[in-house]
Amino acid sequence: MIHAAHASGEVIRKAGKSTAVLQVFAVILLALLAWVYSDISKRYAELQDGIKENALWSVYQLERESRRFEEELTRMILTLDTSDAVVEKLSLRYDILYSRMVMLDQARFEYYFSTDTTVQTYLQTIRSVIFANAPLFDAIAANSNPDMQGLELLLDDVTQMTKSSEQLLNYSNNALSIARAENRTILSELARASMLLTVLIIVCVVFLIYTLRRQLKNVREAGLSLEAMARRINDAYHAAEAGNRAKSQFMATIGHEIRTPLNAILGMVELLKLKTLPDHVVPNIKTIQRSGEALLDIINEILDFSKIEHGKLELEYRTVNLVTLIDNTIEMMRGRATDGGNTLLVDMPVHLPAPNIMTDPTRLRQIVLNLLGNAVKFTSNGSVTLVVKERETSDGLRLRIEVRDTGIGIDTDGMARLFQPFSQVDASISRKYGGTGLGLTICKQIVAAMNGEMGVDSVLGHGSTFWLEVPVEYAMASGPATSEAFETLQPSLPRLDILVVEDNLVNQQVAMQFLKHLGQNVTLAENGAIAVEVAASQHFDMIFMDMQMPVMDGIEATQMIRSGTGQCANALIYAMTANASDQDRERCLQSGMDGFQLKPIKLQQLHELISQSQSKIAIADKVESDDMSPRAQELIAVIGKPAFDGLVLSFFDDAVLLLDDTCAALKRADHIGMDACLHTLKGAAANLGFDSIAHKSQALRGAWNDISELNALSDMIDESRKHFVR
Amino acid sequence: MRLALLTGFAISLMTAQHAFCLDMPKGKVVLTISGHVTQANVGDTAQFDLPMLEALAGRSGTMETPWTEGTVKFSGPLLRSVLEAAGAKGGNLKVVALNDYAADVPFSDAYDLDTILATRMNGAPMNVREKGPLFLIYPFDLRPETYNEKYFSRSVWQIKSIEVR
Repeated sequence: MIHAAHASGEVIRKAGKSTAVLQVFAVILLALLAWVYSDISKRYAELQDGIKENALWSVYQLERESRRFEEELTRMILTLDTSDAVVEKLSLRYDILYSRMVMLDQARFEYYFSTDTTVQTYLQTIRSVIFANAPLFDAIAANSNPDMQGLELLLDDVTQMTKSSEQLLNYSNNALSIARAENRTILSELARASMLLTVLIIVCVVFLIYTLRRQLKNVREAGLSLEAMARRINDAYHAAEAGNRAKSQFMATIGHEIRTPLNAILGMVELLKLKTLPDHVVPNIKTIQRSGEALLDIINEILDFSKIEHGKLELEYRTVNLVTLIDNTIEMMRGRATDGGNTLLVDMPVHLPAPNIMTDPTRLRQIVLNLLGNAVKFTSNGSVTLVVKERETSDGLRLRIEVRDTGIGIDTDGMARLFQPFSQVDASISRKYGGTGLGLTICKQIVAAMNGEMGVDSVLGHGSTFWLEVPVEYAMASGPATSEAFETLQPSLPRLDILVVEDNLVNQQVAMQFLKHLGQNVTLAENGAIAVEVAASQHFDMIFMDMQMPVMDGIEATQMIRSGTGQCANALIYAMTANASDQDRERCLQSGMDGFQLKPIKLQQLHELISQSQSKIAIADKVESDDMSPRAQELIAVIGKPAFDGLVLSFFDDAVLLLDDTCAALKRADHIGMDACLHTLKGAAANLGFDSIAHKSQALRGAWNDISELNALSDMIDESRKHFVR
Repeated sequence: MRLALLTGFAISLMTAQHAFCLDMPKGKVVLTISGHVTQANVGDTAQFDLPMLEALAGRSGTMETPWTEGTVKFSGPLLRSVLEAAGAKGGNLKVVALNDYAADVPFSDAYDLDTILATRMNGAPMNVREKGPLFLIYPFDLRPETYNEKYFSRSVWQIKSIEVR
């Protein structure tokens, strides 16, 4: 698969390379072509610019005039005629010749003509003859008769000049022909060069198109192969995912399967401890309990880790009293610390900036317990200090917790391995101290999930400091703070009617004996179906519900009890299960349960639940859960329960009067009066949080002529009143 | 001022007279127009001396030509005013030089272009050695498109006569 991907990548890369080469090639060719065309156009511009006098014509004229002058001079010498007309004619011929010479000197001719040395030599000969005789003809023009002897001398020069001009004419003609031919050659060469370049460009473009086509084909093939590969990867991923799910399922099942007997063992041990036992048995019992608890820790860690590995770590933020939480945690660890001869100290300011914070108390306690557990484990006859600080930063409040011990310490290599899963400082540690090596990994993951940081400072042989810092939020002290307090066992627990729904015989025994020990009236149901039946005919304050049972499971049974009209529809129902997943927890709450208790349940926890339930039952009995709106809770929080009760009673009194008025208005067909009454009723009900009454009143404002609806409202108010005063 | 006005009046009178009958040349004849001329003054030709030509409407232009070095100022009568003075009628002119070089010049060159018979170069009269006395100069300064071989060959210098056909 990797090979295929590599090949596809190679194809695409190669294609890119050849395209780049072609592009460079094409650009070079285009530049060349542009250069050739600019050269051609420059030459044409030169042609256009070089509109010049025809050199050959001028030379021809010079030669002709020279010849005519020679003829005129010869005739004059032969005839010896020096009449004015003849002299004037000769003079004119000279002037014309002179002008021709000046012309050749001044006019613009083709470049080669003015630079050719042969041309210049000829011209020099001719020029010297013409210009040298200028004074002679100037004299003739001034009416002096020409000297015959001088003219004869002149004739020799002129004959020479005529010959020179003839030679110049021939030479010029040849030179011009050559130059013209050369020019033509250059132009045709340029044309050929541009043609060659054009052909090259066409070849290049054709090649480019061909390569592009081939590339397109290759890329398409590569794309297809990548697609196929993606499919295979997807399949593999799904297979792996399925395997992972199976593993998770297996872990959950094993966890449950181990926890159920463990629950029995620990429960029974606790029951045994309640009895008076022979002295030699007590250490054995303690050993059983400690081993059981250790086993439970291991299972919890493994389940936590599998949860974290699947990214299913969810935090549940609640308002927590930090002092209480720390106190409880320390209490839980004190026994183990004392066993190892260690002193357990807490360093926490008396006045914390925020004693009540928003955090996940369960997870926070888990981390602190883990760190304290490690510290106690690796320290003997020393001290373990828990430091708690709160710090205001620009980003908000931060909670810092440190656990310092005077134990064996960790070296640098060990610290690096510390937070890796399944790793401990070294193999000898595993042998000597045991443990899964998961604890710190889990802690680190939880701290990360809380957007915090965690670390360790340690000196080998002198002890370690594990620290964590998490951002926390302030919480209102008046809020429904979760009490983490372990109240000391009070003999005065209320005596409740409790139904235990549990299929496992040992667990039945544990639960029954625990509850009986706490002085409760306990009834047993072996599965959900029996529980529903019993709950329909009998009143219970509290129901403990197992989740997985034959015939009917806990979820279904809870739904049926809640939706039924039996006496237990409002009872407190707690799930009691070894199933630890968050989804299970969610399902329990959705089915209408009030809480979720993980097995094995301890006597302490049962005690806590029962003592807490007192207040809940009282409220549930008095006000229907529907009517116990947030508004009512808010009012109770602000003005207190007695004042709220007083308000509610006067509301019911007023409501009766208002209803009477509404009825009277309806009979009088006084719509406005009726509407006003209903409006007042709605406002008063909403104010006290009787939302259903408020809604009904508002709805009736549109249906004012319906007496039966008004009776329904009246019934509704009566019902609420009954609930309240009961 | 009054004098200037009077002079102007006198010149216009003279010009009007010329339209009817060309004066006899008083100095050396520099141009003979033969052929279809209605204002003949010598035989059946119209002959001009330099002052007669320079009295006609003309122009001067500074330009470069292939036959001169640098820019040169040519001035002289417009060809068409010379033809009018001679009462020339026809379509073609045969302009002949002292060396018997001849070029055919259509009438349109005289009427569509401000072609002059230059009598002066840089303000001085031209003698034969300097391509004088008359030089047919096309308006290379006003109409650059005339700067080519076609008009060069018509630019006759050392003009002695014009035949109207």
